[in-house]
Amino acid sequence: METSAHNFNLPKLIIIFSFLPVFLSATYALIVYRRLEKKLKLFSIFLFVSGIMQLISGIMWWNKVNNMPLLHLYVAGGFICILLFYREIFRDVLHHNVLLVIGAIFLLFTLYNAFPLELLFRFNSKVLTAESVLIIIFSLSTFMLLLNAESNEVLITERKTLNWINSGFFIYYSSSLLIFYFSDVMARVFPVYLNQNTWILHSFFSIIMYSCFIIALWKRPKSLIS
Amino acid sequence: MEKTEELNFLSALWPFIGIIFLIVLGVLLLNQQFNKKLYAQKLEKEKLKAQHQFELLQSSIAVQEEERKRIARDLHDELGAALSMTRMHLMQIEQQNAKQDTELATRLQSVRSMTEKALASMRRISHELMPPQLESFGLLQTLETIATDLNRLDQLHIEIVAPGNFNRLPMPIELGLYRVCMELINNTIRHAQADYISIRLQQQHGRLLLDYRDNGKGLPESFTKKGIGQRSIETRMHSLGASFEMKNHKDGGMHMSVEIKTEASYI
Repeated sequence: METSAHNFNLPKLIIIFSFLPVFLSATYALIVYRRLEKKLKLFSIFLFVSGIMQLISGIMWWNKVNNMPLLHLYVAGGFICILLFYREIFRDVLHHNVLLVIGAIFLLFTLYNAFPLELLFRFNSKVLTAESVLIIIFSLSTFMLLLNAESNEVLITERKTLNWINSGFFIYYSSSLLIFYFSDVMARVFPVYLNQNTWILHSFFSIIMYSCFIIALWKRPKSLIS
Repeated sequence: MEKTEELNFLSALWPFIGIIFLIVLGVLLLNQQFNKKLYAQKLEKEKLKAQHQFELLQSSIAVQEEERKRIARDLHDELGAALSMTRMHLMQIEQQNAKQDTELATRLQSVRSMTEKALASMRRISHELMPPQLESFGLLQTLETIATDLNRLDQLHIEIVAPGNFNRLPMPIELGLYRVCMELINNTIRHAQADYISIRLQQQHGRLLLDYRDNGKGLPESFTKKGIGQRSIETRMHSLGASFEMKNHKDGGMHMSVEIKTEASYI
């Protein structure tokens, strides 16, 4: 995450450009927030958290300050928001405590991986891998749920929006899973330029994910707006 | 050095297969859970739908019976009163003119006779629409009255068998069973060429058992094609939540057995 700033080249521009969809989606979510129903409100909170974290981490990166502790915080906070969003989707088909238990275990795992405090300044590969695995499971299950003809009418009305959000999560986390999992090995084995290219690829997936989120909010069911 | 790093990479690759397996397992488990819940929800929906249809059927039959009752009352009280008055006036005119004009008296007698026939038909229709004794004396006594009336004709013998302590039933059940019995008797008279009908009634542990038998030619082979009467019997049985079976008896004739929970609530 921490790279030398003030020296612009194409890879850096791509990384900086990857911030744009995050801010755009957060701003759009802020504009329409009051008109969104519960599921999308929970999802918007995730976008706000992402926007704020990206802004702070960008400022820290610009000032050449290690922003890794922020990543630990972002992963925990972001995952809880995503979890609450999926909990709302699975409300009628899964016991409500199942996802809460998963969330609690994940938070404990995050804390365990952040201590001793020196680890806060290192890349949290294991936590990100666990997060990716869980979100891939949730997104695939949501796709299957949305394909099921017996799903409740509300989910079917919101199918388009949920499909875009789900696609965003699935594309980003399934592509980044390898990067997160092998990040330690890559840092040791791969040359610097290859590592940088990997993170450019990661930025590209992030751009795709947030673009999907913007489309999802745009295509939200207008008739359900309260 | 290069080999050690390759080994590091490979040793990191193996657990990754476990991760993929974990994802597949997670998706399968979640979906199994979803399907279970969705199936339960579907069953619940079907149950509610069936309950709603049952209530609709009950309510439609209740409305139908209420309307029959109203028509029977109106026929009896209004048309019956008007015909009785007409008959009385005709009798008065007949008495006044009997000696002066014999032809007029004969014509008046003929009109009076027609009026009396109309009055009798009106009474019969009114009683068929809603037998007054059903509400006052119950199913058993009503069936016994009908049996006595039909037995007098000497073409058919109807036997009603019931225990001495046979209790009254909720009105919707009595009315429903009365209609079914009338439909069956009617069918036996019209199609079965039978000379004997037996109706047995029993009450056991909050259930009513009705057994109808005749010694006619039985149900036709093409019984699957249902007539209005048959459909009406089925509708009434369903509205009462009754289980029933209609078949040919091994000794000949038609046999129908009905079982109804008498403690259920009805509209």
